Amino acid sequence: MSIILTRIDNRLIHGQILEAWVPHLQVDCLVVANNEIAAQTLQRTLMAAAVPKSIRVVIASLPVVAELFVRHELDAARVLLLLANPADALAAHRGGIPFAELNLGNLHYAAGKERYSCTVALDQNELDDLRQLEAVGVRITSRCLPSDADCDWKKLLDGGGQA
Amino acid sequence: MIGVVVFTHAQMGTALLDAVRMIIGPVAGAAAVAVRREAGVEELRQELAAALAEVGAAAHGAIIMTDMFGGSPANISTAFLEPGRIEVLTGVNLPMLLKFFSSRGNFPVPVLAANLRDHGRQGVVLASDLLPHGQA
Repeated sequence: MSIILTRIDNRLIHGQILEAWVPHLQVDCLVVANNEIAAQTLQRTLMAAAVPKSIRVVIASLPVVAELFVRHELDAARVLLLLANPADALAAHRGGIPFAELNLGNLHYAAGKERYSCTVALDQNELDDLRQLEAVGVRITSRCLPSDADCDWKKLLDGGGQA
Repeated sequence: MIGVVVFTHAQMGTALLDAVRMIIGPVAGAAAVAVRREAGVEELRQELAAALAEVGAAAHGAIIMTDMFGGSPANISTAFLEPGRIEVLTGVNLPMLLKFFSSRGNFPVPVLAANLRDHGRQGVVLASDLLPHGQA
């Protein structure tokens, strides 16, 4: 089974994940691949503590998570994989994490970014990273909550996404 | 005077402070911060820092009350945790917040925070549990 959804969400594990996506997808394993959180013991502990005991949690650096997938250690799980930004998504894919689809969740606006929807803003480097993923066959869509429509990210770029 | 910042999803914090004022009148040293769907983490971090400054956290300490452990308000707040001076308390409810205003003058921040955790828990009651056996 393994990866049910791969999502870019700059908040990683938070309310929308625990209360909306986990029940919607019926996943039993949350995987956060993030070098910064992996290095912060307190943040990592608090983030893991918020997850119900019935859900397995892995919070580790990108190389460590990639190794888990390469070794097929998560094959029996239903995984929701969380990445903080497009650069990490590209690194994860190149590192051997086999996702074919990528959900754009929360990629919030900051200075230097262009806003494409309420929850998706990208700078030029991030656009390039996503285009590289698309070029190797990853299907990229935008959907913040399960109740939102799944929108091809190219429609966002063309200004055809939700406002 | 110890300050409080109520940091929640949407306008829940503002509404809780409105409810407090309805019950006990004007209160000082209190602010609310709301996670909005379009707000980025860095923007929210700055709003929380400004709210802590507004309630005098640097001089007197403060408690950040958030709505849900594991939610973005709690996740963002933990970066501001300074045990003894700035505490983060999740699962904010009206009894907890009212008790804060009535007791903040009597305790240092860590004792106050622990008391409020217990008081907030005691504020959750299933009314039928109070009925004599056999009547529920």
